[in-house]
Amino acid sequence: MQSIALLTLGAVFIPVWNVLTKTHLSDVQTSSIARVSDPLPNLLSDLYLFLSISFLAILLGVTCAFYLEEWLPQTNWIRRLVESQVALFSGIPSLLYGLLVVTICLPYTGAFKAIEASLSVENLDVTPLSATAFQGDTTLFYAAGLTFVLLVMPRAIKATQEALRSVPMPIRESAYALGASQWQVLMKHVVPLAIPRVLAGGCRAMSCALAAAALFIGIYIWGHTTQSGQMSSSFALFLGGALLLSILSSFLAERYPSVSM
Amino acid sequence: MNTNGDNSSQITPVIQVSDLKVRYGDKSALNGISFDVHKNEILGIIGPAQSGKTTLLKVINRTLELTSGTTVEGSVKLDGVDISTINDVYGLRRRIGMVLPLPVGLPLSIYDNVAFAPRTGGIRAKSELDEIVERCLQQAALWDEVKDRLDTLGTKLSGGQQQRLTIARALSHQPEILCLDEFSIAVDPVTTMRIEDVLDTLRSEMTILLVTNLVQQAKRLANRTAFILNGDLIEIDTTEVIFSDNPTNQATYDYVNGNFG
Ligand SMILES: Nc1ncnc2c1ncn2[C@@H]1O[C@H](COP(=O)(O)OP(=O)(O)OP(=O)(O)O)[C@@H](O)[C@H]1O
Ligand SMILES: [Mg+2]
Repeated sequence: MQSIALLTLGAVFIPVWNVLTKTHLSDVQTSSIARVSDPLPNLLSDLYLFLSISFLAILLGVTCAFYLEEWLPQTNWIRRLVESQVALFSGIPSLLYGLLVVTICLPYTGAFKAIEASLSVENLDVTPLSATAFQGDTTLFYAAGLTFVLLVMPRAIKATQEALRSVPMPIRESAYALGASQWQVLMKHVVPLAIPRVLAGGCRAMSCALAAAALFIGIYIWGHTTQSGQMSSSFALFLGGALLLSILSSFLAERYPSVSM
Repeated sequence: MNTNGDNSSQITPVIQVSDLKVRYGDKSALNGISFDVHKNEILGIIGPAQSGKTTLLKVINRTLELTSGTTVEGSVKLDGVDISTINDVYGLRRRIGMVLPLPVGLPLSIYDNVAFAPRTGGIRAKSELDEIVERCLQQAALWDEVKDRLDTLGTKLSGGQQQRLTIARALSHQPEILCLDEFSIAVDPVTTMRIEDVLDTLRSEMTILLVTNLVQQAKRLANRTAFILNGDLIEIDTTEVIFSDNPTNQATYDYVNGNFG
C-alpha cells in the first residue's frame, strides 16, 4: 500500500528533479535569462490559485472522511487504502511540503537568474512573463498544485476522521435507539459534536498551505538578495534527504506501530 | 437451569428469547439463553460486570447491529414475531424505549431531545409535540424542574436530571417495552428513588426490563428477576424466590447476598 504513496511522491519529484538538475547545469547559458523581470506578481496569482485549490481539497477531504468513517466498514479495501495513504502523507512534516513547493517554483521565478541579472543590470529585459509563471511547463504547474493537495488533504481527512471517532459510541447508540436513521444520527447528534474539531483540523491544514506559500515568498526574496550560485544543488540534496527520511519514518511507524507509540 | 416462575395460562409473553448466542468476534458474550418476558411486568436483570446484560438489551432493540463483527444466533420474538425478520428496524426501535447509563450525549435542547423521536416518527405539529414533551417530562418527574427552560442544552442539566431526560426521551415514542441499563450509576440516591417511583407507575402501561447493578433495586421493583453470569442465564424466577434463602442455584444466593467471587 505504501508503494502507491511513494509512486505519487515520485511523480511529483521527477519534474522537480529535472528542473533542479537543468537549472544547475545550464542556468547561466539559458537564453531566458534575458527575460528576467520581476515575476513575483505572476507567481503570486499562481499561489492564490494553489491556495484556492488547497481550500477545495480540504472540503473534499472532509467529505471523503465523512464517507469513509460513516459509510464504509473498517474492512473495506478503499477505506484501508485511503487510510494507509493518509497515514503516510500526513506523517511528512509540512515544512517539507513547503520546501517542495519552493523547489518546484523557484527555478522558474528567475530567482537564481536574478543573481545574474543583478550583476549586469543593463541586460535586464522588461518583457513581462506571461500570465502564469508556469506557462510552458504544465507538468511543473500540476506538480506544484498536487503538492498543495497532498499537503492539505491527508491532514483534513485525518482530522475529520479523528473528530468523528471522538464522538462517544453511547451518543450514537442512544440516538439509534430512538429510531433515528443513520443520516439523522449523523446530522443531529454526531456533526454538532464533531464540527469544532473538524473546523480545527481544516484550519490547521489551511495554515500549512499558507505557510508553504509564505515560505516560498520568503525564499524568493532571499534568492534575490543572496549571491550564492551553488545554492540549488545543496538545496536539492537537503530537501531530497529530508523527504526520504520522513517517508522512511512514516513507513517504519506504519510497519511497526508499537515502535512509534 | 431455567425455571420460569409463574407459568399459568393467562400470562402473555411479550418477548420470547430462545437459545440466544452472541459473539463479539471470537469472544462469546451470551452462550445460549432462553426466557420469556411477561406483559406489564418489571423483569429485573442482575449480574456482575461483563456478564452480558447490556449485550442482551442491544439484541432486543437491534442496536447490536451497529457494532461490526458481532454474530447473533437463536431468536428473539416480540409479540410472536422474530425481530430479525422485521424490515423496519427504525420502527422496531421505536417500539422499545432504551435508557442508557450516563454519560450519553444530549447535544440538543431539552425540548428537542424529547421531540427527537416523535419527529423522526413523522409528527410535525407543534401543539402535538408540545403535548408529548410535557407528558414525557411529567412521567419522568422532570417537568417541574425544567418547564421554564426547555431551550437549554440537555448537557447543562445535572447528572440526575440528565438521566431523567433520557427516560423522558425513551418514553417519547410511546414504547411497548422500556429497557433501562444501570440508570442509577450517575444518579444520587434521592433521584434514584424518584425514578424508581416513576417505574413503579409505568408498570401498568408497559413492560419493563430493568438491568441493574444494585440488587436491592431489583428486589424493590421487579416482579421477576433474572441472574446472568458470564453469558449464562443462571436463574430466572419471581423476585421473592431469587431473594429468598433458597434460590435454586447457590451462585444466585451468593451474588444476591453480596458474598460473590
Ligand atoms: N463492543 C464490544 N466489542 C467487543 N466485546 C464487547 C463489546 N461490548 C461488550 N463486549 C464483551 O461482551 C461481554 C459482555 O459485555 P456487556 O457489556 O454486555 O456486559 P454487562 O453485563 O453489561 O457489563 P457491565 O455491568 O460492565 O455493563 C464482555 O465480556 C465484554 O467484554
Ligand atoms: Mg452494561
